[in-house]
Amino acid sequence: MKKLISMLLALILITGLLTGCGGTNTGPVENGKAEPSTELNIYMWQQYISDDLIAKFEEENNAKVNLSYMSDNADAITKLTAGGGQEYDLIMTCDAYMESLIDGGYIEKINFENIPNASNINESYWTAKEYCVPYLMNYIYVVYNKDTCPIEINGYNDLIDPALKGQIATIDGARNLFPIALIALGYDPNSTNESEIAEAYEWLVKYNENVVAYGNAEQNLTNGTASVAFTYDGNASWAMSELGDKNNLVIADFESDPVQLGFDLYVVPKGAKHVDLAEKFLNYITDPQVMAANLVEYPYSCPNDAAVEAASDAYKNDPARDFDYKENVFFQKDVGEAITIYNDYYQKLKVGE
Amino acid sequence: MSISKKRKRQRMEEFIGTAYSIAIYAILYIPVLVMMMFSFNNQRYNYYWNGFTTQWYTKLFSNSALIESLWYSVVIAVLATIISVTIGTIGALGLKKYEFRGKKFINEMLYIPIIVPEIVMAVALLVIFIKVGFALGMGSILIGHCTFCIPYAVVTIKGRISGDGYSLEEASMDLGANRIQTFINVTLPSIMPGVMSAAFLSFTLSIDDVVMSNMLAGAKNSTLPVLILSMNKSGVTPDVNALTTIMILIIVIAMILNNLIKNTLKKRKKTEETI
Amino acid sequence: MKKNKFKQNTLPALAMAGPVSLWMILFVTLPMLYIIYISFMSRGIFGDVVYEFSLDSYKTLLDSTYFKVIVKSMKAAFITTLLCILIGYPFAYYIAKQPKEVASKLIMLVMIPFWTNSLMRLNSWLLLFQTSGPVNNFLQNAGFIDSPISFVYTDGLVMIGMITNMLPFAVLPMYSSIEKLSKSLLEASADLGASRSTTFFNITLPLTFPGIFSSIILVFIPSLGIYTVTDMLGGGKVLYIGNIIKNQFGAIRNWPLGAALSVLLIVITGLLIFIYTRFAKIEDMEVV
Repeated sequence: MKKLISMLLALILITGLLTGCGGTNTGPVENGKAEPSTELNIYMWQQYISDDLIAKFEEENNAKVNLSYMSDNADAITKLTAGGGQEYDLIMTCDAYMESLIDGGYIEKINFENIPNASNINESYWTAKEYCVPYLMNYIYVVYNKDTCPIEINGYNDLIDPALKGQIATIDGARNLFPIALIALGYDPNSTNESEIAEAYEWLVKYNENVVAYGNAEQNLTNGTASVAFTYDGNASWAMSELGDKNNLVIADFESDPVQLGFDLYVVPKGAKHVDLAEKFLNYITDPQVMAANLVEYPYSCPNDAAVEAASDAYKNDPARDFDYKENVFFQKDVGEAITIYNDYYQKLKVGE
Repeated sequence: MSISKKRKRQRMEEFIGTAYSIAIYAILYIPVLVMMMFSFNNQRYNYYWNGFTTQWYTKLFSNSALIESLWYSVVIAVLATIISVTIGTIGALGLKKYEFRGKKFINEMLYIPIIVPEIVMAVALLVIFIKVGFALGMGSILIGHCTFCIPYAVVTIKGRISGDGYSLEEASMDLGANRIQTFINVTLPSIMPGVMSAAFLSFTLSIDDVVMSNMLAGAKNSTLPVLILSMNKSGVTPDVNALTTIMILIIVIAMILNNLIKNTLKKRKKTEETI
Repeated sequence: MKKNKFKQNTLPALAMAGPVSLWMILFVTLPMLYIIYISFMSRGIFGDVVYEFSLDSYKTLLDSTYFKVIVKSMKAAFITTLLCILIGYPFAYYIAKQPKEVASKLIMLVMIPFWTNSLMRLNSWLLLFQTSGPVNNFLQNAGFIDSPISFVYTDGLVMIGMITNMLPFAVLPMYSSIEKLSKSLLEASADLGASRSTTFFNITLPLTFPGIFSSIILVFIPSLGIYTVTDMLGGGKVLYIGNIIKNQFGAIRNWPLGAALSVLLIVITGLLIFIYTRFAKIEDMEVV
């Protein structure tokens, strides 16, 4: 009995110690008197923001910015669903998840009075205005090697051409693949109709035969494994600049099919401890000059019109963004209950015969 | 069989054994060599070979984030190994020797972290930690790592002690040694290869772990594998290769030094003895 | 006298088996209870767990897709395990025969590649075997082939990746078990006139069986759940049970289903181990 009690006491002690060394709280004190925060915790993609930018922000605000990186959009969602949101002050997510996050009560409304620079952002690229600040955006389109690709690609239906067997490197994800199938069949890319989704599944089965690999699309495009890539414009930009003079990649000239435009946005999770600094940061990155400098290092498409204006010529002339159908885009919308139908067919597709 | 034939056969066997082992080591090390080679690749990402450069090594030393995360990973791995091997060794011995209520239950629990995919354990631990308010950080990651290292350690040591009797230990205690002395001087040395295997296994599992480290991380630090995984979407830059190369060089140099020191000590002992 | 003996045994038993038991209860049983609990809950529209009792997750498991996945994963895990044991045993034997000093260094040499990042090692295989990579270049320059062969994203490469990933988990337990073999036993057998193969099959193999059993456990079971190798070397074209479970907690956001799948995995694996130990007549079915 005595041994048991002493062991339990020891356990409690150890737990207390470990809890203590888990991390110090350097946020505003909870007694009404708000001291400015000195720490900001951001959870976002790796290699997506300039180190110089962060350093300057730290200097100007006498604060430390802690960056943690996600490997998958799902990482942030899993952490939020588990209740771990308050670990961070800013989390990056994409527009497709916004409805779930808002309705589920996982994120806070943003006080835009403290973020005047947000007016630089193009309204049409901004869903769920009160809860997020768009950061960068990406077109998902088709790029191919004009020397090695056997056919010309003018629409999604060309992707299931048997001539492309084992030639396509593609990104993954049910909500990236099913929309193009739906469009190819003439349906709404955000359809909730089960029979349409089933048809899209059949289309994707043929697509799957042409796919050599999911993921690492630009790697496979540049090293010759694939001749066609269905990928983000940012990654295509890297591939093209990597190849430099030997660049023989062209963007597929779609005649009528729209391409997906997705946004990476910052949201403030419920329970964030350093909201004041988070707002300052959001105001900072929406400053046109700051974002323009960021675009030099990371030339992705940007919803901040003023920043695009102020960007370098190299950015404006980036071949990866040199296509005419930028207006012909569709957005990923929340499909509610139908997501389970998509997931079932997606699993069926990947499990195969 | 004549002696020379036997010796010939022995030598043939040794030769085959050595050749086989070298082949296995080659297969294990080929990816490592490729990685080291690509640390000199003149390209932003590891897509294909594009010429020689040493820029990544200079870049590495200005990139403190990589080195910090490596240090963080190593510290966690060392701690996890110490904790797991200790608990695992005495646990394996204790579970073998003693009967108690719930022993079968604990045995079955030991299988769980091996069977269940890591993401499930990681998410469950995350939820529990958040619910009890346990701060996320090195402590939470450490707990996560030990939770799967301990069963691996136990299973490894079990493979070693299975079928062992207690005659040696009983003899030791009959001769007057108490339990602790017996443990340190009799039991431990005899199971040392198992303990060593368990230690290496635990260290390896911890230092390359991604899933637990990802889920249970705090906002301030990342382990190296998590950092590398998050680079996967855009491409891993060769400065990571440079870091790996340096790591391996350090280990190899440490092993060589260790050997040299041991040999010099041996020689010195020999000369002392002859004097 | 009696009370003394009781105390004599309780303290060491508690000291040795106590920590591991406590750890298992706190950090394994508790999380697993949570998992089992939510496997009987429903999925909210936003992917969260709604605490209403429902058997939906288990009903979903009856879908043929999941059966196919499990069979596929088991086949792959089985082949990996078989190859790892076959390849690893002679290797472990060779190391065990060396003097202790050398053996420990050889073991360490086996582990060192695994202290480098596994994703990058997998990528190295891709870099080697891609169409513009050194292997294809060599084959073409030497005149063996005319145009590059597509080695990447094939089953063969995935198997190489799986084996190189799992080999240490096979070698280490087998090594520590083989090392235990008393040399005198083997000599006695030879002296009594047994041929080498007889000695091997009647003495060496049975005595090192616990090591083999540990290796099987440490290779087969994790192979069921691993997904990084197929994702990177297989091009993500095929999903195994590990992918599916991961996705439930990730992109698909169906925690109850992920939990139910895990419970199913535990049940199946537990059954397999049970059958196996009964069949192989292992003296103690427990881990220890």
